[in-house]
Amino acid sequence: MSEIEAPQVVEEIASPLAAPGRALGHDPFDDLATSDPLSEQLDQLEARRGQKPEARLRARRSPERKAAAARPTLARSSARRTTARSEEERTKPDNLARLAQRRWATTPPLAEIELPPPKGWVDRLLNPDERRILAAFAHLVEGEAPYDRFGYSPEAMKTTFLIFHTLYRIYFRVRSEGHEHIPGEGPAVLAGNHGGLLPFDAAMAVIDGALHTDPPRLVRAVVDRWAGSLPWVNLFYARAGQVIGTRENFDKLLREGQLLLVFPEGIEGIRKTIAHRYRLQDFRVGFVEHALRARAPIVPVAFIGSDDQSPILFDIKPLARRLGIPVAPITPTFPWLGPLGILPYPVSYRIIYGEPLRYHERFGPEGADDSRLVRYLANQVRRAIQLLIDRNRP
Amino acid sequence: MTRILVSHADEPIGRRVIKNLYHDPDVEVILALGNGPPPRKFDAYLAGGDPRVTYTRVDLAKHRPVHDLFHSAAFRAAEIDTVVYVPRHGAGASVTAPLVGGLSEQTAESRLLLQHCLETRAIQNLIAIGSAFVYRLPPGNANHLSEDSELNLDPAVMPEIRAWIDCDMIFHSEVHNDRLRVVLLRVPTVVAAGGYVYLHPSLAGRPGSRVRALGFDPICALVSDKDVARAVRAAVQTPVSGIFNIAGAEAVPLSILARWTGHRSIPVPGPLLGMLDATERALGIESRLGAGGGAHLRYGFTLDTDRAAEKLGFRSQYRIGLARAGDGALRLETASV
Repeated sequence: MSEIEAPQVVEEIASPLAAPGRALGHDPFDDLATSDPLSEQLDQLEARRGQKPEARLRARRSPERKAAAARPTLARSSARRTTARSEEERTKPDNLARLAQRRWATTPPLAEIELPPPKGWVDRLLNPDERRILAAFAHLVEGEAPYDRFGYSPEAMKTTFLIFHTLYRIYFRVRSEGHEHIPGEGPAVLAGNHGGLLPFDAAMAVIDGALHTDPPRLVRAVVDRWAGSLPWVNLFYARAGQVIGTRENFDKLLREGQLLLVFPEGIEGIRKTIAHRYRLQDFRVGFVEHALRARAPIVPVAFIGSDDQSPILFDIKPLARRLGIPVAPITPTFPWLGPLGILPYPVSYRIIYGEPLRYHERFGPEGADDSRLVRYLANQVRRAIQLLIDRNRP
Repeated sequence: MTRILVSHADEPIGRRVIKNLYHDPDVEVILALGNGPPPRKFDAYLAGGDPRVTYTRVDLAKHRPVHDLFHSAAFRAAEIDTVVYVPRHGAGASVTAPLVGGLSEQTAESRLLLQHCLETRAIQNLIAIGSAFVYRLPPGNANHLSEDSELNLDPAVMPEIRAWIDCDMIFHSEVHNDRLRVVLLRVPTVVAAGGYVYLHPSLAGRPGSRVRALGFDPICALVSDKDVARAVRAAVQTPVSGIFNIAGAEAVPLSILARWTGHRSIPVPGPLLGMLDATERALGIESRLGAGGGAHLRYGFTLDTDRAAEKLGFRSQYRIGLARAGDGALRLETASV
C-alpha cells in the first residue's frame, strides 16, 4: 500500500482556527495547533499505514520518538494550562473511589445468554444469534419494565432488528471494518458523516454495532429534534432506542455508560447536493463537550454509500422553509415517483471505524469549559472522519 | 425536634405525608390544615387525644383565614418552625376553579403561604411540592429533564400547568433566602395503590375518556405517593435548600398509564386537538388539552433525580406495577423494594 497523500480539503479542515485567529492578530491556539501531539499522531498514523512492518518497528524504536515520549506535556499556552491535569489530581483517592463506584448499564456476553423459547412470529423469523443479541439488549431495561427511561422497548426492537438486519444483509450489503475500535464497555461516542434523505446510515450502524460487539452494544443514535415532533416517527425512534439530541439526554446516557452515535453535521449532512457528497459540512461541537465531561472516547466513523443512496440534485430551500421541513430535495427519483422516490437506491454500504480519539485522557472534564478547545477538537474529529472517507472511497 | 404545619392534609398526598411524618420520632407537633372535615384515617391520631397532631379547617386561598391562622394564639403556642405545602390535588382540584383575586386558587395559596412564612420569624423551613409539568417539553417520546431545564413560559399553556408554573416561580424566587430555607420538590405524575393518579394534567380526576394525540404516546415518569411522602420527610430532615426533581424508577407510555388507572385513551389527530379544546371552552366544559393541543399529550419526559439523591439522600423505594387484587382484578399497586 502506498503512502496516502492528504487531499487539499483535509488541509483546509486541519487548520480551522487559522482564519479567525489571523483576523484577531494572534490566535492563542496557534502554538497548540502546530505542536499538537494528536495531530502529529494522526499524521504518523497516516504515514505508518504505508510503511512495512519492519519500518514501523524501527520508527517506534527511534531515539526521536523516545525523546518525544519523555518530553513533559505541559505547555506554555494558557489553554494547555487550564486543561492539562496533573498526575496527582488524577490519582486523588476520591477520584479513584468515584471511578471504582462506576457501574455501567451493560449487557451480558453472548455466551452467557440463555435463549428463551421463541414466542410469536417475529421470534420464529429471527435466527438464534439475533435472538441472543436481542435478549442481551433486554438487560438494558430495568427489572420487568417494558420500557426504559428513553422509551426503548426490547419487544419493539425485535421487529425493527428483523427488518433492518435483512436490509443490512441483502439490500445494502454492508461491509464494515475496525469494529475492534468500538469500546467494549463504558461511555463512548461514535461520530460519523451523515447522508441520504432517510437515516439508513444510523440504522445500519445500529445493526453493525450489535452484530460486531460482544457483549453486544446498543448503538443509540442521537436524532434531530424535528424528528421527535413527527407522529409515529417519534415512537419508532424511541422504541428502537434512539434519542432526541438534547443536552440532558446526551449527558444522562453517557453517564450511564452507553454508546451514542452522533452526526455532528446535523441536518446539513442530509442537505448536501451531489456536488458536495462526502465533503463534511460544519460540525456542531456539543458532542465533544459532553464526551470530555463524561470521559468518553470519540470513535470516528465513515459511512461510505450513504451519500449515494438518494443523491440530491437540488435543494429548494425556500420551499423547505415554507413547509417547515429540513430539506425539499429534487433527486433523480423524487418527486417524480412520488413518496417512493425518497427510498434509497440499493447501494453497497461500507462502515469504517477509526481509532478512538481519547481527548478526555489529555484534557479531562475541565477541557469542556474551554469553548475554543472544544471547537478545535471537534475539527480534529472532523478531520479524522474526512481522512477515513477519503481513504476508503472508491 | 421539628414542629410542622402541613397544608391540604385532608387530600391523599397530604394524608400520606402526615402519616410519614407522624412516624418520625424527630417530629414533635403536626398542625394539619385542610378544606374539609378531618379524614377518617386521622381518627387514630386525633381520637386518642395525642397532642402531636392537630387538625384545622382553613381556606388557604383567602387572605383573612390565613392571616387569622398565622396570628392565632394556638399557632403561636404550637411554635411551628417548618411548613410543608402540599398543593390541592384531590377531587376538589379543578382547572376551572374560581379565580381568587385574579389568580388561580393554587397560585393564591402559594403566594399567601410564602408571604406569611416570610413574615413569621419562627418559621425557618418551607417545603413545597410542585409539579414537573412546569418544564418546557422538547419534542420526542421521552426526554430526560434536569432541574436546570427550561420552564414552559408559553402563554398558551393549559391553565392547570400555568398555575403550576406560577407557584414554581413564586417559591423559586425565595430559594436563596438567608432566613427561610425553601425546598421545592418537583414531582411527575403521582400514582397511588388502587389506580389513583394525581398531578397529571390530563389523567387526574375521575376515570373516564381522555384524548391523546394520534401518532404520539409520550412516556410518563411516575412516582408513588409513598415516595413523595418520603421525599418530604427527607427535605424536612436535611438542611439544604433548592429545587429537586423527585421521581420513581418507572416510566410508562400515556396509553398504558391510562389503562392502568381505569381511563380510556382516545387518539385524536393533532390538528383536531386544538379545535376540540376551543369547543370545550366555548361550551364551558373543563378542558384538559390546552391551546394547540397541549405538549404533554405529545411529548414525554423522565426526570434526573441525581441532585435529590446527592443532596437530600432520596432514592425511590417503591416500584409501581399491576398486581392481581383479592377480587381477581388487575390493579395498579406500589410495592417497596
